[in-house]
Order: sequence, then C-alpha cells, then structure tokens
Amino acid sequence: MPSSASTDPGEVSDIDLVKRSQAGDTRAFDTLVTKYRGRIYAMTYHLIQNETEAWDLAQEAFIKAWRALPNFKQDAAFYTWLYRIAHNVTYDWLRKKKIQGDGEFDDERTEHRVAAGAEATPKGDAAPDTAMRNAELGQRIQEAISRLSPEHRQVIVLREVEGLAYEEISALVPCSLGTVMSRLFYARKKLQEQLKDVYETTL
Amino acid sequence: MKPPSEDHDLIRWLDGEMADNELAAFEARLKDDPVLAKEANELSALSAGIRDHLPAEMRIPHADFFNSQIQVRIAQMDLDESRQKQTGNISLADSFISWIRQPWFATAGAVALAVLGFVWMRPHTQDTAHSLILSFYTPGLGVEASTYHDNEADATVLMLDGLEEVPADRKISGISVHRSETELEIAATTLFDAAGSPLLVISRDAVGHPLFLTNTPRG
Repeated sequence: MPSSASTDPGEVSDIDLVKRSQAGDTRAFDTLVTKYRGRIYAMTYHLIQNETEAWDLAQEAFIKAWRALPNFKQDAAFYTWLYRIAHNVTYDWLRKKKIQGDGEFDDERTEHRVAAGAEATPKGDAAPDTAMRNAELGQRIQEAISRLSPEHRQVIVLREVEGLAYEEISALVPCSLGTVMSRLFYARKKLQEQLKDVYETTL
Repeated sequence: MKPPSEDHDLIRWLDGEMADNELAAFEARLKDDPVLAKEANELSALSAGIRDHLPAEMRIPHADFFNSQIQVRIAQMDLDESRQKQTGNISLADSFISWIRQPWFATAGAVALAVLGFVWMRPHTQDTAHSLILSFYTPGLGVEASTYHDNEADATVLMLDGLEEVPADRKISGISVHRSETELEIAATTLFDAAGSPLLVISRDAVGHPLFLTNTPRG
C-alpha cells in the first residue's frame, strides 16, 4: 500500500498534522492537502484520463477525508488511508459513468495467441532514444490505458503506478487474488495488442 | 487457451510475486519454451514502459485554487452543521456572528466570505467552463439569494428575493473571478481576474468583521 512521502528534517509529521486537523485546524489539513495533492491527482487522472474530472475527484477525496478524519485511528499511514478514500471516490465515479473501452477483453472468454519465437529486446522503434519519440510513446500508452475498462485500468494503475502487491489490490478493489491476476493479465494483453508495433518481438 | 494458472504464473513472475522455488522453476520453463519467453519479454517491456510514462505524482492544475476551494467547502460544511444544530429561535444575525467566531473562520471562513455573491469560474482548461456559486452572503437579513444557470443565455442568474426596490439609476455590476490565492498566515484571500490583476482582498478586522478591499468600481 502506498505510504507517506519522505519528510524533510524539520517538516511537521503527518501524525502531528492529522492530530491538529482532527482538532479542527484547517491550516494543518491544508498542509496535508498540499503534500499529497500531486499523488492523489495522479491516481485519479490515470484512472479517469480527464483533467477536469480528475481534479474534481481529487478534491472530493480530500473533502471526504476531512469529514472522516474524526474516525481515523492512525492505525495506518495517513496517505494509505487517504489513498483508499481517493480510490473509492474515483472508482465509484467510474462505475456510475460506466465507461467502457472499445473491443474490451472478456476475462472468461478471450483467448490470447502468441506467435512463435522469442527475443529479449523490442524491434525497430521499440527503444525510442529521443525525447520526442519518448513523449509520443507516453501518449500512446496513455491512450491505450484510457481504452481499458475501468476494472482493467484500475489494476494496471494500482500495480504499475502505485506498486501495490496483489494482496493490497485484492483488499482495495475488493476482489479475489485470482481476479486480480486475471485482470492484470488481460489488461496487459489488451495493452500489448494496442501497442503491438512497439513491444512485439520476433522469434 | 492456456489454463488460468499458467497465465497467473506469467503475471506473478512479471510482478515479482513468486517464491524463490517457484521462480527457479518458472525461469527454467522460460529457457525451454521460446513462446513463453517471448510473451514474458514483451509483457515485461510493456510494464516497464507503463511505469516510465505514468508518473505516481503529477503537478495539479490550479494548485492554489484547489486548496482554497477545499477550505471553502470545509467552511460550508461546518456552517451547515452549525446551522443544523441551532434552534429556530436564533436569529440570522446571531447565526452569522457565531459563524464568524468559529475557529476555522480565521482561514477557511475568510475564503468563504471571499466568494459570497460572486461568480467563481471553475479552473477549466476548456472553453466549456460554467460558473459556480459557492456561497452567498446577503447583508440584509430579509434578502434571500439563489442562482441558476441559464443555458440559452449561457449565463449565471442571481436571484435576490426580498430586496428593496432598486432605484432605476442604480447600476449593478459583478466581478468575474478567475482564480484566488489564500494567505493563511494573515487569513486573507485575494481574488484575481483573467488577466491576473487583483480584484478583491477579503480578510477580517481586529474584531472579526469581514473586511473587503477592492479596486473595482462598485455599481
């Protein structure tokens, strides 16, 4: 589970800021917002792929956190707790919007076929060595992720961006470990299909 | 189609979720199975690409406004809560004064006042921005304010019920606020127009009364 960012010497700890916030100190809470808004926004943006909606959802997450602060027992890091709130806010939004990608993979029915052969490095332009190519690749990856279903996008972001372990993803979503693995597999297959020209190798 | 467990093995290898003994066995399979090795290499490269291009932290647009609006909403929630707790015997004036006296008013309350009666533009980067009224403040106790967005006119309409008849020669103007900056140390909020010029500074005086400093002509 994501943990709090490293703190500079002299910086007020999250624990102190949380305690002050719980006592009604909005300035302390504002400091927490400033500290974590970039990470929360990144998560909502990656899941929503829309700047304005991600901005609103990140803000909603902080508002919900403020309201729930009296119940926060500090048995987890503040950021971990905040992250769960932000994730739930965002995923609820996704569910309501019923955003669906094109040609979505079906976990139960889809077969994946892999050409024979193996090679350790991608071919052709697969290793972009200029900033422009790198930016273009980033854009393509973003677009490919935006076409995933909410469920698949969710596990990709939680795993690849946030680095959550399977058990943490399973608890957060929530779903079984097997479902986490299946969703990760098919999400990656979908991305692989869309980015075939970049990452396909030959035997 | 491969058995699900085989897919799971590949994914667990990719994500470093295998125990040592499983890892050795799977890597032996990779050496013997070029098709599986190709799949593993491609997915591994894909994962690395995703990690490289999806930052875990991003610069949030309109960061100051993001923070200040949270403070406004917190102030509003506290105000609503405070109102709910109050009995109907308390006058609106008493209610307003008690609001000002709340501890949070020093920071968030000032922001709430900042937007009273003004149209606050959301931080859109697109052309489809709509106005949003965050809160109202009507000095006259008998006046009630409400608002709605008129799609045809593409304008926000502010309704003031209970207002005395306005003389025909009286001009009324509004302020279009583009962004705000809150100085928490001095509990003051500055509102800026689209050109970045300050429109209004809101704070409070020594006894906690709202203090408005403006260089905008009032109608």
